[in-house]
This record gives sequence, structure tokens and C-alpha cells, in this order.
Amino acid sequence: MMLQDGSTQLLCLTASSGVPLFTRGASRQLPFSVIGSLNGVHMFGGGQGVVLSCCETEGGGKVVWRVFQESVMLIAVSAGGPGGAGSSSKEEEARLQRLLENVWNCMVLVLGQDELANMRNVERIKRDLRSCFSLIDQLLEERHEGFLGNLTHCADSLLPPNPTLVQEAVDGFAQAADSDFGCLLVHGRIAAATEKWWRLAPQEVVLLSVLMRSLSASGSASCDYPVFLPHGSPTVAHRLLRFHLLPGADVCVLCGPTPSLHRAESGLVGRFWSPLVETLRDCLAVGERCLPASISLRPDMLALLLINRETRRSVSCVRIPTNHPLSDPPLPSKARCWELLKLFYSFSMTRYFSQEETLCVSPEERTQKGNTEDFVLGFTHQPLQCYLVTEECKSFGLQTAQHQLFLVTPPSVPTFALRTAATQTLSDIVTATGF
Amino acid sequence: MANVNVGQCSTLCDRQTEVCGAEHASGSDSESTSSTCSSSDYSDDLEPEWLDDIQKNGELFYLELSEGEEEAALAQANASQGVSTNHVRFSEKEAEIITEQNKKQRCGSRAKGEPALKRLARILRRKRRPSQRRGGGKDAGKDDSTLTPLASILKNQPSQRLGVSVQQQQLKEVCVYLNPKRLGGSSTPLSDSGGLLEALLGVIHRPSWTRGHGDSTFVRQEERLTVHGLIPNSPAIKCGQILIGDVLLAVDDVDVTSENIERVLSCIPGPTQVRLTLETEAPGDGSNAGGASSTRKTKSSPPVSQLVRLLWGEDTAELQMSIGHIPHIAMYLSLQLDSASLQEEEEILYQYPVSEASTQLKGVRGIFLTLCDMLENVTGGRIISSSLLLGKHLVHVGYWKESNNLLVIGLPADRVPLLYLQTVVGDVVRTLKVMYGSLDRAFCKADHTPRLDHFFCLFFQQLIQPSHLRDTALAPTLDVSGTLFLDGLPAVRWLTLPPEIKMEVDTVLSDFESSDFGEMSEDFFGLRRLYVILGSCLFYKSYLIANHLPKEDLLDVCLYCQHYCLLPLASEQRVGQLVIWREVFPQQRANGGGAVPGFSQSQGRHFLLIVGLRHFMQCVLLEAGGCASPAVGSPGPDCVYVDQVKATLLQLEALEAGIEERLNAPPAPCLSCADWFLPAATARDRLDSLASSSPVFSKLAGAVKGPTLGTRGRSLFGEKSRRSSPQRSLSDSGSEGPMDAGSGSSSSMAPGFSPHSTPDSARKLGGRRDSLGSGGSDGSGGSGGLFKIPRMKHPNPFYLGTLKKTLTERETEEMYNTMKLSSGAENTLFHYVLMESVQGIFIAPTHREVAQLSGSIHPQLIRNFHHCCLSIRAAFQQSLPPRGRRAADRPQGGGWSLGPVKEHGVLFQCKPENWTDQRKPAPTMTYWVIGRMLLEPVPQEFYVCFHDSVAEVPVEMAFRLSFGLAL
Repeated sequence: MMLQDGSTQLLCLTASSGVPLFTRGASRQLPFSVIGSLNGVHMFGGGQGVVLSCCETEGGGKVVWRVFQESVMLIAVSAGGPGGAGSSSKEEEARLQRLLENVWNCMVLVLGQDELANMRNVERIKRDLRSCFSLIDQLLEERHEGFLGNLTHCADSLLPPNPTLVQEAVDGFAQAADSDFGCLLVHGRIAAATEKWWRLAPQEVVLLSVLMRSLSASGSASCDYPVFLPHGSPTVAHRLLRFHLLPGADVCVLCGPTPSLHRAESGLVGRFWSPLVETLRDCLAVGERCLPASISLRPDMLALLLINRETRRSVSCVRIPTNHPLSDPPLPSKARCWELLKLFYSFSMTRYFSQEETLCVSPEERTQKGNTEDFVLGFTHQPLQCYLVTEECKSFGLQTAQHQLFLVTPPSVPTFALRTAATQTLSDIVTATGF
Repeated sequence: MANVNVGQCSTLCDRQTEVCGAEHASGSDSESTSSTCSSSDYSDDLEPEWLDDIQKNGELFYLELSEGEEEAALAQANASQGVSTNHVRFSEKEAEIITEQNKKQRCGSRAKGEPALKRLARILRRKRRPSQRRGGGKDAGKDDSTLTPLASILKNQPSQRLGVSVQQQQLKEVCVYLNPKRLGGSSTPLSDSGGLLEALLGVIHRPSWTRGHGDSTFVRQEERLTVHGLIPNSPAIKCGQILIGDVLLAVDDVDVTSENIERVLSCIPGPTQVRLTLETEAPGDGSNAGGASSTRKTKSSPPVSQLVRLLWGEDTAELQMSIGHIPHIAMYLSLQLDSASLQEEEEILYQYPVSEASTQLKGVRGIFLTLCDMLENVTGGRIISSSLLLGKHLVHVGYWKESNNLLVIGLPADRVPLLYLQTVVGDVVRTLKVMYGSLDRAFCKADHTPRLDHFFCLFFQQLIQPSHLRDTALAPTLDVSGTLFLDGLPAVRWLTLPPEIKMEVDTVLSDFESSDFGEMSEDFFGLRRLYVILGSCLFYKSYLIANHLPKEDLLDVCLYCQHYCLLPLASEQRVGQLVIWREVFPQQRANGGGAVPGFSQSQGRHFLLIVGLRHFMQCVLLEAGGCASPAVGSPGPDCVYVDQVKATLLQLEALEAGIEERLNAPPAPCLSCADWFLPAATARDRLDSLASSSPVFSKLAGAVKGPTLGTRGRSLFGEKSRRSSPQRSLSDSGSEGPMDAGSGSSSSMAPGFSPHSTPDSARKLGGRRDSLGSGGSDGSGGSGGLFKIPRMKHPNPFYLGTLKKTLTERETEEMYNTMKLSSGAENTLFHYVLMESVQGIFIAPTHREVAQLSGSIHPQLIRNFHHCCLSIRAAFQQSLPPRGRRAADRPQGGGWSLGPVKEHGVLFQCKPENWTDQRKPAPTMTYWVIGRMLLEPVPQEFYVCFHDSVAEVPVEMAFRLSFGLAL
């Protein structure tokens, strides 16, 4: 066995010539013979009019192939095995499909579509692609707790206690920077953004958040980063200006040639954001809960994910009750709760709830989607809610015209109470915040 | 009971002695045999009809529809055509024609010195059944009985032809589908007189029609090919446009005469469609119209269903062609390359089918081989499946590797979801193993190929176009998900029977299994037994009603039956006679399973005998070797055993009325129809429905009908369940009546009644239910304790031996004579499936119960239920330890990291179709589909579908249901 249990390796090759561009993930790289064969079977099938899309092995191992723009071949190999991150076939496949899509978008974001599609100088592309590695690694590593955007393609958001103030500040700041696209990130989650920002493709919003997180992790006070928007402008680069406001709080704008980073930093940031320091501190205080303190959640709730299907925003949190009496079996750890939430989300989405990304989906992607959603389409009636009782926890998911809500609760909560808890939570949050 | 048995046996035995006496008492004098023979009235029964159909390897598949079925078909076809070909030899396309000599040899080997009279009688019999086994239509000319039915198909009777002075001749073109490959398998030997014209096309042309029946030595002249007759079930008669009296002018624009027709037809290489040009008389007068209409009828109602024809081995190419555009394939590939071999495509050990779409899949077999070889090293597990995109078709490919060979099965994704592919592949593999011992033995023998072709033809037909196989009139609701789900369960559909009937059935079966055949048994002659009966199981109309087989053996047998569609066959059509005999390799026994220390399986060979008679079907597992005498070579079915099973079935037919009554009984537990819950349904419907669904009403009805009937019909799910909460049942029985009436009338007054606003009564009851301690049964495992006491008191219902229950006990329970699975005032249960994994059986509402709840939404709901169950079961499967798998020798598929799933539910919403009212939004109805897996006290899986208005606790429902089975 060449891959470690539970690890995922990403292979990138040129689709036409099979030259390996890079491999990421997993401590030990797969031997080239394997990489070559994996690429070869797909290529051979293509010649015969058969497109190989995925493969499953015993123990939950998965291989997913996908060719982008007829130039770049991405292959994700995940090893299942006991205790691995691999879950049941369907969910794992959906996860890997998402991963490939994100990685491609990420490559476009950094290099632009032209360079990737034409592939004139392979060696130069190889070199240029190194700048994506940090982003790709971030996508590969599932250890980043609390961010589900990669999976849901909904922007991880944070609901500030005083949204109007923050919203006004972001709008004003973006306008002053000659841009329609501005956004405030608190703890890596979007606290407020301009209207145009939300009109970007959900994948772009998510990817920009990932980029911002990795940029702010570098610790610089501000930066000017050229980005291509994978769907909005894959061939023309924009400038992403990012400014560090407070530890954990960043603001960014997408703009054209003007203003310069220096002018924006010296002239605009102070003007718009120094009066709001206290408000920002309040936002930071919300922390990982993502919801203002005014909303009281039921105590017996381990994890929550709320998605607004129209705006493609999501709020998620995990809470481990500290004062909980010794329960049997012991409650899952925080990391495990995040994992359970993700798994339950994938489980529900691959089987029952449909994802509506009709807006910005190319025909090519639609066929790919068809692969994973063939089961959902088999239902004659519309699934609205679902629940799952496992030994570890109970999960409940519900879907309305506008929202999707996923809950994880300890096993001690009676099953018949789950539905009430979910509907109540949903109405509580929606009425209090207008999310 | 025993007396009856003996009595019936003895009458049968009289007949059997003639046939089998010689075999078993090989020394018995042939003198007496022949004397009984000559005195016997049943000269037809000198020997069983199926004797000629035994294959060289001893296997037998003999299927004959009953007279009633035949008559019905005849009536449908306006008695115009000879549908009497109910006697078709099943040859599995093997090009073997059992010649007289061949058979003689076989018989000779069994019974030395066959009485001469028997041979004569057989020949006579064959003569007497010309229509069934028409030897090239030899008898068509002289036999009046066959001519008369054919006469009516003549669109112009000779007399009429005389009357009509002006006949307008006109040409017509008819396309027929011809398959020369069928010739090899067909029982019709190529007769000298008819040749290919008869054998291939099915057109009888007598060169000397007017001059009387000619000899085969008749010197032919070139003459026009007038259609003198049509062979039943031939392409000519099936197309319905070739009429007697037509003249065949050309085949695919090649002019034909009696001179060159044989040559022209012999040039057809494979299955193909040819265009015939015929000269016919223009329809004009009344008699013509009548004739034409009868022909049209013939065309619209084929005499036998496609399924039967498929089982008979006919028409596979035609059916296969109709799904040729859908990619699917089964391949057995070798992973070892033998470079020395000169054969082309030598890595393909077996392949089916040979169609356009499968060519593409076959072309990429390199992918399958490479992936299979490589991925094992990469991810550390054998490959299970891949998904491919062929143009617009998504195809899932399932793999099964055995030693150095790889079985690859490709199926379209819209038929088999990936979630369930593994189960489907596992079942195919297991069926093949049961039939052949191992995959290598199945695929690597060249002479198995035609059988395997037939096997996979059935497999793909069932998955891809099940509707073509069944008569849609008889089985209107066919959903692929349902078939997938129910067939995929490691269990057999069970029908609960009233105890007295059940006991009788069991007694009869036990009598048979004791092998005490009286003077027919080997003991009687001091011989060693040929076979030991390991056990048998009995099906009635596709329901298992008794099983004396261990679970794994039952599953093996059931897989075989499922694969050959025997169960639906017995339920939809009255089987005149079905005899199947073959060697099988029960998986549990083959794997040396049952690792009980100190016990070793006897190393015998096993044989499966299936005998069907009308709606009954009994499967018997026999063992040779071990205690019985070892089997040598490939023995064919033994008449004694077959006839003993038949006798058993005949004996059981006395119980048919009782079983039918059970099937006709109102569903217990009560079921509701989804349409009743939509406000669109009129109040009247609703009240009617209440009368049939509400336990109270049906109880009243039962009381009117008389207590005995009520007992038999509805005490099946006795009220033991109520015992778990006696207070509730008492209060319920007190309050249900008025409440039911109330809710019924309230809804009639307020048609806008929304399902979201639960009726007060239901809410009240729901609340009370919660207070009754159902909180404990939330899946945390605490519920087990609540129910343990009654469980122990009433042993597991599925242990079939424990059927003895005193009547008095039942009588005390008769006061709660109905069973409602759901709680609350209204019955909210739509559908359920309860599987008992220990015994390998499941129960679900019978087809008839479902059919009674007709409606527009309900069938949809059931389809949806089954589709959802696929997902739920897949979730259970993934979380189960590997041993729970049906395909036992394959380790677990995925590391299900959500952890073991106990319960899983989905809420659905449905709307009436084509809602026209623009002003009002369409009314909706919501319902749950919930699956629950119980490991304690006995492993069970329970799937239920009920209306949303009452919160149910599935555990409770499961227990209620399984207690109901205890009777």
C-alpha cells in the first residue's frame, strides 16, 4: 500500500502530454509509474470515447479524475482504511470532486486561465504553480476547523452584533477605493461585504476567503495581490488589496489599477475604520460562535450549520458544553464534531438535498454534477428533512425554500425532539438576525 | 393427516410404478409393468413429460403453463391461433437435439430393458400432440384437430373465395425478425418438407396442398409460395400480418419461389430483420374485416408473457436488441497474459452481450484490468467500482476479482445507483457460485457459454427493462428501486399465515422431508438412499410460506429463484408444471461454514429440485453422498422425488383456499392510502377509506362476517403488541370509534384541512403517547429493556417451530382483533418492510394489499419509499461489520466514519400532480420514511413509511409489528 491511511494525494499533469506538473498532499509521493498509469487509463478511455470519472476500492479508497480546459488533468487519490478520513463512497466522492474543482479554481485564481489553457512553456508553468501550493495545501488539509466553505461552496460568515454599522463601513470603504467589491473578514469569516461581492460566484467568494486567510496568516499589515476570478474574469487580473485592521480582522477590496496600495492604506483605512474599532472588537468577541450573543442556542447542541440558499452564505459553529455532567458515552471532541458536521452535510447533500448552483455552472460541470446527484434525482417526492442516529451522536438536517440547517446533538437528546429543536433554532436565528 | 397422505400417495404411486418401477427395482419384472401400463387410462402419464428435456449434464428446466392460462390466451386471441405451444423444451440454446436414440440410451442406462410398449406409447403420445411438438408440421395436413383452429385465421375461407368474384390482389410488405440461431435450440427438427421456411420463418407451405398430403419424396416444381399455415410462436405469426392464403413473393427484394427459398433463407447469417413482400387480397367484405380484427387482436395480446418466453429460451436476441443502445456488459477477464496463445482477445474468457454499446465498454477493458491490478497497491484494497461516462450515459462498473480472473459488470447509472451496485454484483456472484461452484468453473467451461448467455440476458433484462418481462396488466406498479431493494435484501418475502394453516403446511412439508415414501422409497427395496433431503421451502404466489432450510441455504435457493424470475412467475401465471433440477453448491456448505467444533459438514454433492404446480412452488435441497449413496456423473432428476414433491403440492392445494383468504383479508396492520391525506380527496372517499382502514370499522365488519372469519383473517397480527402498553390499548379501544368518526366528518366539513394542522384528536393522542414513556426508545438503546419482558414471554416469531399456541390464549386476545401499527386516532401507516436477518425473511404488505390502496399518489409514494430504503440500507450496510454482508467473503466497503448508524429517517413532501387551480397553492402532504436497525434481541431491519401528523417512534413500531408475527 503506497498511500497512508486516510491521506489524500493530489496529482496534476498536463492533459495532452502527461507531464507531471506537481503532486501535493501525503507525506510520501506515489511512484511515477503509478501516476503515469492513473493518467494513462484516463487518457486511453478518452480516446475510446469513455470518460473515466471515479473509482472506488475496498476500505473506502477513492480515485477521482477530472480534466480542466482540456489542458490540465487533476487526479485525487484518497486512501481509506480504518480510522481514515474516508467516509462512505458517495460522500467521499463528492468531497474529492469538490477538491479538484477548488484546486483548479485556485490555479486559475493565481495564474489565470490563459496560461493554464495554452500551456506553452511547461517548465515555466511548473515554476509558476509553486505560488499556489500554500493555497492548495490549505484546501487539502482538512485540519482547518470551522471552515466549511470548501465543501459547501457557501461563504463562511459571521453575524456581527451590529450589522448595519459594519455594513456601512465596508460599503463606504469600497466606494472610496474605487471598487464595487469589498469585504470584511473576522476570524477568517465574512462579517460584511458589499452587494457586488455577494454577486461573485460562490466558489470565488469561498476561494477569496481562503486566500485572505492564508495572506493574513503571513502576518503582513497589508498586501496587494493580483487575482484572476475563475468565473468572473479568468483572463484579466484584478488587484486584491488587503489591510490588517486588528488581530483577526481584515478588510479587502478588489480593484483595478487605482488606487495604489500605499494611498489606500494611508488615506482610506484610517478614515473609515478607526472610528469603528470598538465595533470591530465586538465582532471579534463573537468569535467562533459566529452568532451574536443575543441568540441563545439550545444547550444540547454540539454543532450547527445554517446555509442561506439564496445568498450562498453559511454560519457554522461547534460548542462543547463544558458544564455537562459526565455523560456516557463521552461526548465527541471538538475536532470530531466538526468532522461529524461535515460528514453529515455531505451525507445529506449527496443523497437527499440538491445543491442549486445552476447560476454559474458550465455544461461540463453539470455533467460532473450529474454523476454525484444521480441518486437525488431518483426521488419522486421532495425530501425536506432527514435525521441520522448513530452511536456517537444524532444529526438532523432540514431544507426550506431559503435555508438549509444541519444539527449535531449528543445521543442523549430524544429523537422525536430533534425536529422541534431544529425548526425552533432555525426560526430563532432567522428572526433575530434576518440571515 | 398421515392417512390422507398415504392415500394420495398411493394413487400417485400407481402411476409412478409404471414409470419408475423399472428404475428403482431394477430387477422387477417388466411383465407386470407393461400390464399395468396397458390397463392404465393415463397413457400420457406413462412417463413424465419433462423426461425428454433433461440435459446431458442432468440439469432440467421444464416449464409448462397451465391449461387455464392457455385457455385464457386462446380466448384472448379469438381462438384463432395455436397458442398451444405450451410445451417448449428449454434447451438453453444448446445445439443439442435429443434424438430418439440418445434418449433411449439414457433410459437404457437407468432401466435395463425398457418395455417395448412404453416406447410405443411414447411415440403415440408424440403423435397425439402434434400442435405442441409439431414435427415440422407433418400432421398439419391430415390432423383435423389442428386444422380447425387454424382455419379461422384464414382471412378468406375457400368457400368465401368462391363467392367473391372479384379479388383485388395487392402487395404488402412485412418486416419480420428472424434469428437463425434459434434453430439450433428449437425443438423443431429441420423437417424435410418444411425446411427453413417453416423452421425459421414459421410459414407452412405445402407444395401439394390441393393434391393431398404429399410424401417427402414428392418432386417439387417451381411454384409460388402460398402460405398454407403458420407455425405457432414463429416470427410469421407474431408479426400478425402474414395471413394464410398470402403468397410470399420476395425476401429483402429477392424474388423467391419454392425452388430458391431455402437457399435465400440459409443466407441469413445471424439475427436480423428481413422484409417480406407478400401478395394478398385486398380487404373488402365483412368476413375479411372480421378476419383482420382477429388478427389484430392476435398481435396485441401475445399468448405468453415475455418472461415465460425468455425462460423458455426463446427470443433472447430480440429482447437483447431492444436494450442494445443502453450500455451494459458482463465480462470475465483474465489477469494473466498468455503470450503463447494464438487466440484473439484471449484475455476475455467470457463476454455478454455483443451489442454496439457493449463494444465500447469491451474496448476499454484495458482500463478495468489496469485499475484492478494497480489500485490494490495504491489504496490497499481491491477495486469495487468505477464510474464511466459514455457519451451521455453514465455507467457504473462493478468488479469482482477471484484468483487471477476478474468479473466486470457494467450497468447504466439510472438503473442501478452506485450505492447499491455492490449488492447487485455480490448477488450475481453468489448466484453463479451457487449454480457452478465458483466463478472459474462457471466461466471457463466452453459449454457453459450458452447457459451464461441466458443467465446474463435474464439479469440485464430484469434490471434494464423489467416492464418488458411482466404483463403490465398484472403487475402495474413495477419500480426498479423496489425490485432492487427487495431483491437485494438478504431475505425472502414471507407471508404470515393463520396458525392452523401454518401448522398443516409445516406438517405436510415435514412428512415429505422425512423421505418416508412408503413403497416408493429405497428402503422398501433395501437399497441405499439416493438423496438425503436437507430441507425444503414452500412458496405460494411468490411469498414464502414455510421454510425448513437453514438461512444461508434458503438465501441461495432464493437467489436462484429470483434470478430466474420464478417467484413472479408463480404469482402472475398459473404454472401448469415446473420442474427444475440441477446441481448446486450451497455457499455455506461449500465454504465449510458453520464452524461448530466437533461437527464437520459431510462432503456430499447437493442438488436443487424445484417443483411448481399452479401457484405453489416447492424448493427441495437434496444431498447425495454422506448418508446417501454418492452421486456418480451428473444424475438427472429422479422421478420418485419429483412425484413426491408433486404429491406434497397436491396435498397442499387443499389449503389454497385458506391461504387465499389470508391474502384477501384486510391488511393487517392496517394501511392507509396516501391519496386520502390530500385534501383533494373528497369527503366521501375519505369516509370510505376510513371504513376500510380504521381498525374499528374493519373490526365491525369482521364481526358481521362472523367470528371464524375474523379470526382467520385478522388475528395474524394479534394484539401481543398491545401488551407492551395495555393502558393505551384499552383507552384506545374505548375512544377510537367516536374520534375516527369525528376526524372523518370534520375533514368533510372543512375541505381545506391542511396536513400541517394536525387534527386535534391526533395531536391529543400524540401527546399522550409521548407521555407513555416513548422517550426511552429514542435509539439510545434504552428501549430494549422496556420490551424485554414481553419478548421473552413470546418467543421470537420467526422461529418457525414455535407455532403451538393454545386456542384459549388466542381467544382472549380476540377482543383486540385488529392491529394498527401507527399510534394516534387515525391510521397513518402507508407502507412497511420488516426484515429478520436471523431467519432471512422479511414481511411487507402483500401485492394485493398494495393494489387495493389504489390512488394516483400512493404508487409514487411506494416507489419513493423503496428508493429511499436503498439509501437507508446502504447507510446501515456501510456501518455494519463485514460479517453482516450478504456476499460474505468480501470485506467492508468503506470506513464509514459517521459511525454505526442505528436509525435514519427522511421526510418527504408530495403534491398532487397537475394541480390546475392557479389561485390556490397546491395542497401538500408530508410523510416520513424511516429505517431502523436493531441488533438486540434479534437482528432486524425495519423500514416504515407513515404520515407526518403523528410523531412515531420506529422502534416501537418495529416491535409492535414483530410481536404481531408471533402467532
